[in-house]
Amino acid sequence: MAEGSGLSMEFVSDVVDWFSDPSHWTGADGIPQRTLDHVWLALLPTLIAVVIAVPPAVVLAHRHVGRFFANALINVGRAVPSFGVLIVAAIFFVRAGASLRFWPAVVALVALAIPPIFTNTYAGIANVSPALVEAGLGMGFRESEIIRRLELPVAAPVILAGIEISFVQVIATVPLAAVLSSGGGLGQYIVRGFAQGRGGVAETFAGALLVALLTFVLQRLFAAGERLLVPAGIRRLTDQTDQAAT
Amino acid sequence: MFRNHAFGAALLVGALILAACGGGDEGSGGDVADGPTITVSSFNFPESTFLAEIYAQALENAGYPVERNLNLGSRELIFPEIEAGNIDLLPEYVGSSLQVGFGADAPVSTEEGVSALSEEFAAFDMVVLDAAPGEDKNVFVVTQAFADETGVETVADLAGAGDIVLGGPPECEERATCYAGVVSVYGLSNLAFESIQEGSARIAALESGEIDVSLLFSTQPVIVERGFVALEETEGLIAPENIVPVISQEVVDAYGDDLTSLLNEISAEITTEVLLDLNGRVELDAQDPDEVATAWLTENGFLE
Repeated sequence: MAEGSGLSMEFVSDVVDWFSDPSHWTGADGIPQRTLDHVWLALLPTLIAVVIAVPPAVVLAHRHVGRFFANALINVGRAVPSFGVLIVAAIFFVRAGASLRFWPAVVALVALAIPPIFTNTYAGIANVSPALVEAGLGMGFRESEIIRRLELPVAAPVILAGIEISFVQVIATVPLAAVLSSGGGLGQYIVRGFAQGRGGVAETFAGALLVALLTFVLQRLFAAGERLLVPAGIRRLTDQTDQAAT
Repeated sequence: MFRNHAFGAALLVGALILAACGGGDEGSGGDVADGPTITVSSFNFPESTFLAEIYAQALENAGYPVERNLNLGSRELIFPEIEAGNIDLLPEYVGSSLQVGFGADAPVSTEEGVSALSEEFAAFDMVVLDAAPGEDKNVFVVTQAFADETGVETVADLAGAGDIVLGGPPECEERATCYAGVVSVYGLSNLAFESIQEGSARIAALESGEIDVSLLFSTQPVIVERGFVALEETEGLIAPENIVPVISQEVVDAYGDDLTSLLNEISAEITTEVLLDLNGRVELDAQDPDEVATAWLTENGFLE
């Protein structure tokens, strides 16, 4: 045990040393720049996934068609490993003359982000009460108005929850991109530290800590933004359900 | 009392079953004395893995108990495991082992390297066996087009090639035998580093021009296949890199000369041509390292 605690004290001081090294706070390899890279590399694929997944999910769920086919497709998508997509995309992009740094990771992360967004959107829209839709039709809503003014607002909490799940998964998966290039946001610290074995444990740990911290902060921010996007009436409803549940 | 008897009987039956299983395992091989299980390990690239498989399969065939812990990682990850006594056999490379593993100076010759390595490994209770004639050095390669355009033939010539990028695995950046060493020894302030861990992605990046120079192994058939140019290294940064198995003292003490002479006989057959051939089977023909090892051992009469 004595040896163990000695090691851990040394480890803690190594991590503190790593964070207090001024070279880790400046330049392209510094924590501020890598944090920005990390956020951008998580945000863009999530947005692309929203654009790709939400419209077809809304249309299919509105018409109550394609549930089986869509589920099958999405489950296949979930089974594809991100690492495999990353490597295949890397070789494809680099042959096409593009950089290894950015786009291969974006492709792999978009593929990762699509399934939760699609599934939640589909479920959210499909589960809107038929009585509500009837009422809308009765008020003379056109098809597009039913989607826009009725189904989307009612399903908003579920849809946003799906986007949040994807976003958090993507933030946590960005580090994978560091095996391909000196990019990969904060993940570079993890990959580089790991490759240096015992001498790099502090750097790996610092990287993992930073990624966890960033994930937590962005998830809180997203949750705060979610409240703004959900219409007030629906928010009251879901808040009540939350309270009833607790 | 009755319960205690029943419990005792159950224990006895269990022990008999275990003993029977153990006996069955021992009986399948030759007549080898009882001793520790030999944990064989390798670095995380195919050549190291098929070399480890070659030694492991030969030992198994001779009846020794073998456990595999292959494709483990870089030297930075494996050496602490050796020090902790978790690895009994590892195919090493003379120069890199000394320089990267122990932070020692680069050996001038294979013989000097093996004796220096023996002294270093003695601290870990490990024995260095005979070196194989085959070696696999790190090489810095460029594409033929880049060589034509810049006239670069040696590593020193890179100084006149403008702003260029060397691609290598993450551990290369800080190593004295890799990026850090090249920059300081040759004064290449124009050379940047890009970390690309995946070999296939690194080769693709070299061909596309995203990186200008790539770290590869001299026994990688892709160098010949793609017509890459290996840059001559004149400052002795890259030392002799013969394959040399290192094995734990405990295993040598337990099994003696029979085991070491078997491993030495195999090492004697591993030439650089063999490494190129076997790497080709793995990288170009997509065979598994363990199949490649079995095939080579059979072709050379070590397996029936």
